[in-house]
Amino acid sequence: MIAPFFVVFGVFGLYPLLHTAWVSLHDWQLIDGDQGFTGLANYAELLSDGHFWNALGNTVSLFLLSTIPQLFAALGLATLLDRGLRGRAFWRAGVLLPNVISVAAVALVFAQLFGRDFGVVNALLGVVGVDPVDWRAETWASHLAISSMVVWRWTGYNALIYLAAMQSVPKDMYESAMLDGASRLRVFWSITVPSIRPTILFTVIVSTIGGMQLFVEPQLFDPGGTATGTGGDDRQFQTLVMYLYEKGFRLFDAGYSSAIAWVLFLVILVVAVVNFAVARRIASKG
Amino acid sequence: MSRTLGGRATSITAVALAATLVAACGGGGGGAGDGKIKLSIGIFSDFGYTTLIKEYQAAHPDIEIEQRTVKMEQHHTQLATQLAGGRGAADIVAIEEGNIAQFRQSKDKFVNLADHGAKELEGQWAAWKWNQGTTDGGNFVLGLGTDMGSLALCYRRDLFEAAGLPTDRDAVGELWPTWDEYLKVADTFTRATPDVKFVDTAQNVYKAILDQTEEGYFAKADDSFIGGENDKVEQAFTLAASLGEKKQTGALAPFSQDWNVALKQASFATTTCPAWALALIKAGAGDEAAGKWDVAAAPGGGGNWGGSFLAVPKQTEHPGEAYELAKWLTAPEQQKRIFKETGNLPSEPAAYQDPEVTATTNEYFNGAPVGKIFGNSAESLKPTYRGTKDAKVTPVFNNALSRVETGKQSTSDAFDEAVREARDAAK
Repeated sequence: MIAPFFVVFGVFGLYPLLHTAWVSLHDWQLIDGDQGFTGLANYAELLSDGHFWNALGNTVSLFLLSTIPQLFAALGLATLLDRGLRGRAFWRAGVLLPNVISVAAVALVFAQLFGRDFGVVNALLGVVGVDPVDWRAETWASHLAISSMVVWRWTGYNALIYLAAMQSVPKDMYESAMLDGASRLRVFWSITVPSIRPTILFTVIVSTIGGMQLFVEPQLFDPGGTATGTGGDDRQFQTLVMYLYEKGFRLFDAGYSSAIAWVLFLVILVVAVVNFAVARRIASKG
Repeated sequence: MSRTLGGRATSITAVALAATLVAACGGGGGGAGDGKIKLSIGIFSDFGYTTLIKEYQAAHPDIEIEQRTVKMEQHHTQLATQLAGGRGAADIVAIEEGNIAQFRQSKDKFVNLADHGAKELEGQWAAWKWNQGTTDGGNFVLGLGTDMGSLALCYRRDLFEAAGLPTDRDAVGELWPTWDEYLKVADTFTRATPDVKFVDTAQNVYKAILDQTEEGYFAKADDSFIGGENDKVEQAFTLAASLGEKKQTGALAPFSQDWNVALKQASFATTTCPAWALALIKAGAGDEAAGKWDVAAAPGGGGNWGGSFLAVPKQTEHPGEAYELAKWLTAPEQQKRIFKETGNLPSEPAAYQDPEVTATTNEYFNGAPVGKIFGNSAESLKPTYRGTKDAKVTPVFNNALSRVETGKQSTSDAFDEAVREARDAAK
């Protein structure tokens, strides 16, 4: 009964992974294919490639800016939803709504919100006397704008996962804590968070993978679109996957692009392990 | 009663749907179940083929044509992956002038149209256009030319009037015989109406100037990268960047969503406009700006910007039929009609010199005699040599200009960085 799984995994999981590794060891052009074995040359070039490090930095920055607020907001949201609200089902379905909407549509709307000349955010800033911000041109501003998109999309999704976990926490634990006179915050940190620890670990890992592979939001935020794929005129918000796309599909350098893919794979692995360790410590401290 | 009816209707719909699905699957799997040859044609933006295709199908009852349109930036990437994968490409594909050099390198993925007799057609096109679509000393015909992008300059009459500048298109054209004089007009305009940008983006001005030179980033002789040594590149860059330094540009990404909004808000007064751009301006500015835009001659004479080719990927099952269709679509008779419908300028002298074409005016652009303007521009056009890696290098310089426009870098720093990056990209 297990065999079909391994067949499917082999075809759709393992084979592409190994093939990518094989391609990354060659000078491989997208249209014309293999131009000769080059060993680790692509990887060596990658390590001295400023654009790669820039993309890695942006990816980490965007990951931190979006994942941390997102998971904390999701925890808070889940706690609210866990209480006896009126119209519970409505709110629970509602938080998932942002996640259901197509990311392209989301990006389109946010691109308008964060427009430089006629954007809503700048108009609101103008009301309180702040000068308009060029959201695409400035590094920090572009990171904030893109992160807000990610947070908006994924907070509700994570909140529902947390909610599901919170529902299985025995209610009598809360009751006895209340009787002992513990504050809501104390209950949250001492009972809720430790009780749903495995779920938090799960969302941290999933968000890490998602965050490190961030692509569509920044790509669509780029006014030049896929025509340049550089993530702004100074690569200020080019993520690793965008760089991979630029190399592979705009410059047609499939070998180099595959090398990026493999390095990205390793980076995700490392970041996930680190996150796992950190999250476990935080969650077990309470 | 209504309930039952509703239930019945639902089940009938379901059956009908299932039947359609089965039929659709049958059609897809079996290929030409009805004995028709199915041809697909992959294009971007508007090639003006919709009515022509209907006509062709009526004249050739055994052929069924499907038109697939995607955005230009996706089109060429998608085509590259389809060629790499060996399947999925349309039977006829459009390739833009800026990209054709790149695809010329992979000519073994395309049908040599010379094998189907394309060489006999050579005389139809302007010589430079024909040469762009061929390789191997003219023995390999990769693509048949569609339109070309001879250059003009569009301007808003009402904004010019507000700035105290002439509004008549001939007088406007005389304001800027050269790009240096265009800069002077920009200064006059900005002094009079400081709140309105003179031009949409430095990138388009830069490209227009570069397109008027014989060589751009790559040497005609050996295709080597000369962007750092070719004075013309630096001159064009510096000139366009000076508009950005003086904040006379809207710093917009060309043809982006913001560009459309700015058009609608009338926040810039001039934009470079090759023939095909008229449709984009009209779409962006909307009906309420009808008659406010006009077309004048571009500074520095004609230049070529854009224009495409129709090629036939080798993976097609019907190379002969695909060639016949491409040949028909690019013939002077059809090119003339496309010009009248969409404004895409023919690349064949017989078409663009035709009295019908030269007499064409464009009502939206205040009745501008676009046939005459673009025809004249086409006559004086000196095509730029496009290197194999042109499409890789171009965005690097565009990004550099954008950095000047947003005030991140000085012109000379931006240019030096662009040359450095371009050298890497062209390796």
